[in-house]
Amino acid sequence: MTTAGLVADVCIVGVGATGSILAKELASAGLKVVGLERGPAPRLEDYAVRDSVKFIARPEQLDWVKHEPTTSRAKIGQAAQLRYRTSPLNVLGGALLHWTGQVSRYMPSDFKLYTNEIQSGNAERAGADLTGYDIIDWPLTYDDLEPHYEKFEWEFGVSGKAGMNPFAGPRKRGYPLPPLRHSAKMELFAEACQKLGYHPYETPAGILSQPYRPPTPFDTRIAERAACVYCGHCNFYGCHVHAKAAALYTTIPVAVETGNFDLKTGCKVFRIDTDGSGKATGVRYFDPDGRPQEQRARVVILCAFVFESVRLLLMSKPDDGSFANGLANSSGYVGRNILAHGDVRAMGLFDDFIVNGFIGPGSAAMRIDDFNGNNFEHTGLGFIRGGTIGTSGDGAPITRMDVVPPDIPTWGKAYKEYFTRYYTRTFDLNMQPETLPHKANRVDLDPRHRDRWGIPLPRVTFDFHENEHRLQKFMAGVGEKIMRATGANKVWTERKAAPNRWAGGTRMGADPKNSIVNEYCQTHDVPNLFIVGASVFPTMSGYPPTATVAALSYRTAEYILRQKQWFA
Amino acid sequence: MKSTTNRPAATSLKVLTPSEARILEAIAGRIFPATETPGAVETGAVNYIDQALAGDYGHFRSLYRNGLRAVDRHGREKFARKFADLSDVEKDTVLTDFESGQAQGFKNAADFFETVRCHVLEGVFCEPHYGGNRDLIGWRLVGFPGQQYGYPDAYINKLVDLEPVATVEPPLEKK
Repeated sequence: MTTAGLVADVCIVGVGATGSILAKELASAGLKVVGLERGPAPRLEDYAVRDSVKFIARPEQLDWVKHEPTTSRAKIGQAAQLRYRTSPLNVLGGALLHWTGQVSRYMPSDFKLYTNEIQSGNAERAGADLTGYDIIDWPLTYDDLEPHYEKFEWEFGVSGKAGMNPFAGPRKRGYPLPPLRHSAKMELFAEACQKLGYHPYETPAGILSQPYRPPTPFDTRIAERAACVYCGHCNFYGCHVHAKAAALYTTIPVAVETGNFDLKTGCKVFRIDTDGSGKATGVRYFDPDGRPQEQRARVVILCAFVFESVRLLLMSKPDDGSFANGLANSSGYVGRNILAHGDVRAMGLFDDFIVNGFIGPGSAAMRIDDFNGNNFEHTGLGFIRGGTIGTSGDGAPITRMDVVPPDIPTWGKAYKEYFTRYYTRTFDLNMQPETLPHKANRVDLDPRHRDRWGIPLPRVTFDFHENEHRLQKFMAGVGEKIMRATGANKVWTERKAAPNRWAGGTRMGADPKNSIVNEYCQTHDVPNLFIVGASVFPTMSGYPPTATVAALSYRTAEYILRQKQWFA
Repeated sequence: MKSTTNRPAATSLKVLTPSEARILEAIAGRIFPATETPGAVETGAVNYIDQALAGDYGHFRSLYRNGLRAVDRHGREKFARKFADLSDVEKDTVLTDFESGQAQGFKNAADFFETVRCHVLEGVFCEPHYGGNRDLIGWRLVGFPGQQYGYPDAYINKLVDLEPVATVEPPLEKK
């Protein structure tokens, strides 16, 4: 094993959304930062092609997907099967390469589930069955994150209109860009929601509605980017005009230009080292040639997404016998309480209205939060929480070819007649119901499967439980009602939820006995080890995690920069 | 409809044998049949699958080998003729037996059917450099204008009057 002589100020493991924000902020302040990214640096011609076979039909063949499978099972005791997912992406820039671009801030109430739902008696009034759930509050508030949400929105460029969503938290500044152009889906949905007395608004989108460069007081080093051209190849694709907010052409080049950021791709970290005093001393990784290397650092930050951050902690057991259950795991909570949305859909098709749902982008969407969080009366409903509801259903024919009403066969003449007539005349409503932290849902090390470096794969054990089942059913019903109100000639729902948008596993909390990190994403056990990403979420909202993950990154960077004595 | 060519689907096979290709073509012709408009065979779906089996879908080769043989065998057992020579109704009976997993003697029947169904439709709607969607027939059939650079109009309740395009141009225009 070779030893890199230099001790970096900060070593970042994983250079995606969170890692790139931290790299930019810390390197800009003069710290010497090393970034180790397991994936490749994708070239424009690798990702910015509107190719539905490559990105929709065969994503498991992508270079940045195929080397990092997880194993997956619903319940403890079952054998886990290999799964190749597009998320996490092991690629420079991470999931911001292929995301849709929904950037909602969490609502203030999303951070206090224990207080608002359990302690307040809401759960009891609702008649919810919370057996097996493990709900705690976040150790911070919406107000703590507000300035960091703002910074994210103005540095990456978000299109939206403040004041339209009555359920949103207060904000000091509007969005940098006006909303994206309305699509037919948005018009149909907005009209239906208004008819029903709901409150539709344009989803804040991480897609530029106009050419944009961040103004002062934000980071003006970020280059100007072009406006969206509405090509519709958005969700799962890289953006060919760079209108979609991505780390590759915002935070990463700025971090590199500081001269303080040593970015190494193709480097797979497999262990975090510690010394006798219980502090992290650096990491070990395989370089692109598969040789083990060492990187020493004063601060180590895991930005490696839910599965990998958990896996690294569980694999890093110091030789001196401390942390026998894995690093920073004195609580035994590493890997526990993982979360994922269980989306359900309502589909509609129209005989006399042409929707052209393929015209994008996916995040040019209309949304309501009337059934999100605790925004509606739950008494007697049998569950707590809710979800956000919005328009969806974009995509090339390969994306849509399996969206078939239950009374139409999936092949043959009738299928052909259906799809050729209705491909342009259909869209979906997507309901994103919140999932609660459950003790049975966890990530650990797979005892059987290993990756190409010989490291045990992360094994995901995840299922939806009683609160999710009831909530998902309710949300599907609401979606169906709204879709009927659009005037669709046929409406059907897809109620079988598959988990996506993962979170949890190294949750933050005030109590070191049942959480891994504090409000600054600093591990309770190892003061110079941080974990930044959706894995720190103790609970999830109905919204996607990206805006909150980014805000936490900016906040953690600020905290680290205040610890001047660490780098003296 | 710009093109209604009816050429044979697989011109130079990479993985499938000619007899396998004939069975697959007969299946494709029922999954997405030619009607008054072209179907999967005419768009080159068999060619798409053959190319895919030579590359990204290499791991499906044995499923195809065994599955195609099983479809043919099931056709012979049920109707005493090769699958490709059966009537449309007879072919659909055989395929329905596979779809429902009721075909005897092949334990992956339902899995094979679903795989083929999905791949045939991919062959109809793929970007044409993958070997299917010949002359953009698949896209024209459903009203998808292809890999447009963008859309200057939202086309709300309007037909999109753009000629479909398949593009392999360098992705980002340099300023």
